[in-house]
Amino acid sequence: MSAGPTEARQAVRDALAHKQSIPVPIDFGSTAVTGIHVSVVAALREYYGLESQPVKVCEPYQMLGLIEDDLAKAMGIDVKGAFGPKTIFGFPLADWKPWRMPNGLEVQVPGDFNTTVDSNGDLLIYPQGDTSVQPSGRMPKGGYFFDAIIRQQPIDEEHLNWEDNTEEFQPISQQDLDAIRVGVSEASKTGRAVIASLPGMYLGDIALVPAPFLKHPKGIRDIAEWYMSTRARRDYIHKIFERETAVAVANLQEIYAAIGNSVEAVFTCGTDFGTQRSSFCSVDTFRSLWLPYYEEMNDWIHKHTSWRVLKHSCGAVEKFIDSFIDAGFDILNPVQCSAAGMDPKLLKAKYGDRIVFWGGGVDTQKTLPFGTPAEVRDQVLSRSEIFSRNGGFVFTTIHNVQARTPLGNFIAMLDAVREFNGAN
Amino acid sequence: MADLTQLYDAILNGDHKTAVAVTKQALADGAVAMDLITNYMSPAMDEVGRRFECEEYFVPELLLSGRAMKGALELLQPLLAASGATPAGRVVIGTVKGDLHDIGKNLVASMLEGAGFEVYDLGADVAPEKFVAAVREREAGLVCLSALLTVTMPAMRDVVDALKAAGLRDRVRILVGGAPVTPEFASEIGADAYAENASVAVARARQLTT
Repeated sequence: MSAGPTEARQAVRDALAHKQSIPVPIDFGSTAVTGIHVSVVAALREYYGLESQPVKVCEPYQMLGLIEDDLAKAMGIDVKGAFGPKTIFGFPLADWKPWRMPNGLEVQVPGDFNTTVDSNGDLLIYPQGDTSVQPSGRMPKGGYFFDAIIRQQPIDEEHLNWEDNTEEFQPISQQDLDAIRVGVSEASKTGRAVIASLPGMYLGDIALVPAPFLKHPKGIRDIAEWYMSTRARRDYIHKIFERETAVAVANLQEIYAAIGNSVEAVFTCGTDFGTQRSSFCSVDTFRSLWLPYYEEMNDWIHKHTSWRVLKHSCGAVEKFIDSFIDAGFDILNPVQCSAAGMDPKLLKAKYGDRIVFWGGGVDTQKTLPFGTPAEVRDQVLSRSEIFSRNGGFVFTTIHNVQARTPLGNFIAMLDAVREFNGAN
Repeated sequence: MADLTQLYDAILNGDHKTAVAVTKQALADGAVAMDLITNYMSPAMDEVGRRFECEEYFVPELLLSGRAMKGALELLQPLLAASGATPAGRVVIGTVKGDLHDIGKNLVASMLEGAGFEVYDLGADVAPEKFVAAVREREAGLVCLSALLTVTMPAMRDVVDALKAAGLRDRVRILVGGAPVTPEFASEIGADAYAENASVAVARARQLTT
């Protein structure tokens, strides 16, 4: 059985404090990296016989569906997310309006979610909802979510100005601060543990480098060009990170003044350092180019708040975990066990008392979408057994649940977590 | 006469400007295009691949070296065409329908070009019929398919099926790769091989086309 509200929050707090938490807490839908595709959320509502209503798209880039309280209760979810003040396309989650997915599913989207269809049949979406400027996202015909449209101006090497890459790092506005305060307040009322997504602290998240939220992005916005810059233009990158960090620390003071210690955790960074078999840089490069800035932001958080900080990085990052811990991150997500070196037993034994694993519950590349319910059950039970010992584990899938995931497999996953919790 | 070890070093170090300058100078000095590729550029890209395999190089270094190599190659390609030089093989490459991700695919294309293959890059979100048309038009011996997404991976099977339906399957070998792709999946959809990264893709391409 799912824990009640108070127990839910306590279970997460225990897990974060590396205390054995029974039952193992469950998260779905609290952040942009622990979400469920809107089509699967709709199927879950139907499965549980909940009020029929078009699901809200709370993250329009990956088309993640909002998990309302009735569904959260049915699924036994213990965490509630307070999303950032604006979506990745630069508009707020407000003024909901009906919209039909390309596959015909009726959903609700924010009022500034404005799209057009190009000659290829692809869906185009616009920064801040402004259809008079170039679109910043594309959903291929027949697709399920958007990808960034690269709007890279020609690069004049002699006149590259790092400040062009910092338009997005500004003192937080009163409006955005109010949105965070209201979001956290509403999330707290659920009685579940709260994780808040905070903007402007990621240092080169490749989903955000193209700035799908800006109308006219300047600087280095092409993904390949950015990666090359982390090797060939390090001074430029340092300057951006210095600015981002300085602004972030100032903003953290404002945010803390607004929300205090009413959240259990914050999600600040989704920058991926791992690939399926390797990484995007060496550990040495991480320690010289990224770590000092992460450390400065996380140090401020730990000195002034009780928040735990979640670091998301896909891929083979086993060798980075010590450095993530040194940088002040408390939680790792999504714990991609299918990537090279990410063996669950090894991770738990080597790092389990120093970092919380918020993920790793079941593979979403293979097992959940393509396996059998029995294979899903086996993996969930095994991962829960390994990761939950002495706390330090919040159950969720390895990254977002994708469209077309068989409902039977999803239910088999939830049943297996309940089975594990019941048995412990 | 240009110091051609500088061409090797420029590609290895991802120095596009020097790679282009040295190639220009070498051609002005009468160097033969195929010699530059065989003796300097391909060995440099092989070394890039070796360093990637042993994690001395990562994606940024691969991209930089690939760009330097491409810059030099663009100067040589008209000369190669005019001389009637035979490539290591003709390759059609693309990211499958519904998938817009192209960095991995671009890396493979660069590495294959560096290894002397003639590469026809169809880009991203490529429909099966476009692969079929390109194989026919270019008389390609190898098709490379990329997918980053779990939801687009099945589109690889559509390409294999389309090549079969067009009667071309016996004429081409098919190599697949991308984050969610596995050797088992490659085998299941009837591809000839799977490559886990750009460096391995070159080795597989060489095996499949000889």
